[in-house]
Amino acid sequence: MTDAGGASPMGAVLVVGGGISGMTVALEAAEVGKDVFLIEKNPYLGGRVAQLNQYFPKLCPPSCGMEINFKRLKNNRKVRMYTMTQIKSVSGAAGNYEVTLETTPRMVNNNCTACNDCVAVCPEERDNAFNFGMDKTKAIYKPHEMAMPMKYAIDPEACTKCGKCVEACKYQAIELDMAAKTFTVNVASIAWSTGWNPYDPTQMDNLKFNQSDAIITNMMMERLAAPAGPTKGKILRPGDNKEPESFGFVQCAGSRDENHLEYCSYICCMATMKQITYIRERYPEVPIYIFYIDLRTPGKYEKFRAPLMSDPNNHFIKGKVADIVPEADGGVTMIAENAVTGEKIKQKVDLAILATGMEPAAKSQAAALGVQTDNNGFIVSDADKAMLSAGCARKASDVVTAAQNSTAVALKAIQASRR
Amino acid sequence: MQINPDLKFIRYLKGAGGDTLKKCFQCATCSVVCPLSGDDKPFPRKEMIWAQWGLKDKLVADPDIFLCHQCGDCTAYCPRGAKPGDVLGAIRAYAYTEYGFPAGLARLATAAKNLPLLIGIPAAIILIMWYISGGMHLPTGEIDFGHFFGHWDFKYLTKTTMFIDLIMLPAAGLAVFSAYKGVTSMWKKMCEGANASPEWRPSCGKFMNDFLWPSVKEILSHDRFNECGVNKDRARGHKPLMYAFIGLLIVTTYGFISKDFIGIFVPSLHGPLHLYDPFKILANISAIALIYGIFILWGNRSNEESESGKQGTFYDWFLIYEIAAVGVTGILAELTRLAGLPFLAYLFYFCHLVSVMMLFLYMPYTKFAHMVYRTFAMAFERYRDSGFANSVKAD
Repeated sequence: MTDAGGASPMGAVLVVGGGISGMTVALEAAEVGKDVFLIEKNPYLGGRVAQLNQYFPKLCPPSCGMEINFKRLKNNRKVRMYTMTQIKSVSGAAGNYEVTLETTPRMVNNNCTACNDCVAVCPEERDNAFNFGMDKTKAIYKPHEMAMPMKYAIDPEACTKCGKCVEACKYQAIELDMAAKTFTVNVASIAWSTGWNPYDPTQMDNLKFNQSDAIITNMMMERLAAPAGPTKGKILRPGDNKEPESFGFVQCAGSRDENHLEYCSYICCMATMKQITYIRERYPEVPIYIFYIDLRTPGKYEKFRAPLMSDPNNHFIKGKVADIVPEADGGVTMIAENAVTGEKIKQKVDLAILATGMEPAAKSQAAALGVQTDNNGFIVSDADKAMLSAGCARKASDVVTAAQNSTAVALKAIQASRR
Repeated sequence: MQINPDLKFIRYLKGAGGDTLKKCFQCATCSVVCPLSGDDKPFPRKEMIWAQWGLKDKLVADPDIFLCHQCGDCTAYCPRGAKPGDVLGAIRAYAYTEYGFPAGLARLATAAKNLPLLIGIPAAIILIMWYISGGMHLPTGEIDFGHFFGHWDFKYLTKTTMFIDLIMLPAAGLAVFSAYKGVTSMWKKMCEGANASPEWRPSCGKFMNDFLWPSVKEILSHDRFNECGVNKDRARGHKPLMYAFIGLLIVTTYGFISKDFIGIFVPSLHGPLHLYDPFKILANISAIALIYGIFILWGNRSNEESESGKQGTFYDWFLIYEIAAVGVTGILAELTRLAGLPFLAYLFYFCHLVSVMMLFLYMPYTKFAHMVYRTFAMAFERYRDSGFANSVKAD
């Protein structure tokens, strides 16, 4: 097979989204010789897993699994990576899709060595999206500690183009006039590994997310516990940096709820159990209250649950938190009915964690790109059309399931490009 | 625990607007968002599982089903669309039938298919009485409903008053008796359910003072209704309607006493009230408030149903139609009387009598029964928290 025109080899695979699923699809396809275009809208690969403190099944830090994948990507000339890149349009049919892509300007080129001199001189700040706004970075920033590619980026919203970074950069790595780039690729199949977003907690008006710093989401908890997070791994209450003396978890915050996400997001029970271990490492004795409807600990995860439930300081209460009241001392009171005893419970805690679920990230754009979704916005694979969905774009799942499924999708993509 | 689900009961609830009840997965969101539910044993989560299990005896003895005002906050926040508010409404409908006496009449008043009988019985009774009275002909000269059932010269009691008494007093009497019987048996069951032995009973005065009157005051001010979130507008219709009924009750009582008792000594009281008589003014204001209130409630309900796409229930609509009919026929009879249209005036007056009789007759079995059962359930709630009920528990 010849490389037709350089940019668009025959039978190539386009992988949309460079999280753990997208990287898996890309690598599995490339390592058997397929040409792969891997695009990612963020300035870095790794997606949601990169934001976790630890992940299942072995509670590794993400550097662990990510590092191997990054190395495989770097060593594989079959994969072409494009960060800060999104799809503009898709045309054609299975075996011959023409996809228009657009790369937004990073304003930092490949000369960047991540020396940090630019950050020292940059006068502007931005909310750090990687840490869910719990800290700030300069307008020119390193996406995160182990970003791949290890290149800085400039936030166009925050940057005033004052030029101080350009002067400070010894490598001519900064191009403030960098323009957006539109280009097309021809591919045989498209793997959608667009992943998920944490469900917007402000949608649950009764949980008062925006009304108290003591109410955070489970993804914020991951960042608080992460060594490179806003608190350097200490779990402190945002706002006043208090060491919480009690914690409360709100399970099914938006999931299994026809007013929000009508499905079970699958991961939140285990995420909460994992986060209980984060808390226990730092605060061995504090009371932790877990309000749930049902606890779902599929398969081997059941073994993880048992010791947590036997800890006398972990209080598992069957009953959904349906109201949270911010208190004057900075804490919050969680209100639920204990469905076993029939009593109303008003539990005051210093920090409440909403176990928000997974909303498919491509939900709103899927239809415009000709992708079929189910009622909840998850992408439905169509092998005949060589439109495949991988990982959490397909259904809410844990990392293990996403990676397994992505391997299967790689095989489907290969089959589609051989037809 | 052995559960014997009453399938017939579950099927009844599903048919009476509680078709969503099996969707409930007991997350207990409803008990928290309910603005009326207390901290001790909140509702309606427990009622939902009792209903799913068909535990009818537990439910009819549960004051909480009546304390619910169907605000709809639980339904709005329910993650499963189980509509606890509607399910509790269906349970109440069942309870009225369960407590209703005579049982046959109570059952008759539960289904739209019985409408021909429900309207036919009072219509036939009044037609027959009208025929017997000999008053069944159009009046000449000024229209006076005081001559609807004819006229005689016996000055202590007019013929029409006597016929009205003959029709309405038994109907109202049956309603009062049935409501009394129902409330008594409800109270007994609630005492059993709450483990409150009837041995420690408050005196009649204490009962009135400590439990019943505070509840009535709360009802008059609509305090609970006003706590509702989603269906806040219902109080806007319910309040004028309730005051209209109180106004009309005063006028009717005045009419009854003045015509049947004082009229014996002061025969001039037998004529129609002058338009500027304070009681007539009260009657007319009440009539307008009644029409205003019922049409707000009518509009609220039909909006709610068109928004949710839910089929309305006979239980909800029968009372709305009934009250609307009383108001509209009453006003039309008065207007056509004043306009001097004898045929229409008599026709509307006849319809008015029929609708009023229906209201009396079916009060204890239809949604109208809430005024009795809910009032006493609210009194029970106070009783349950008082020393009378708790002194026994401590033993």
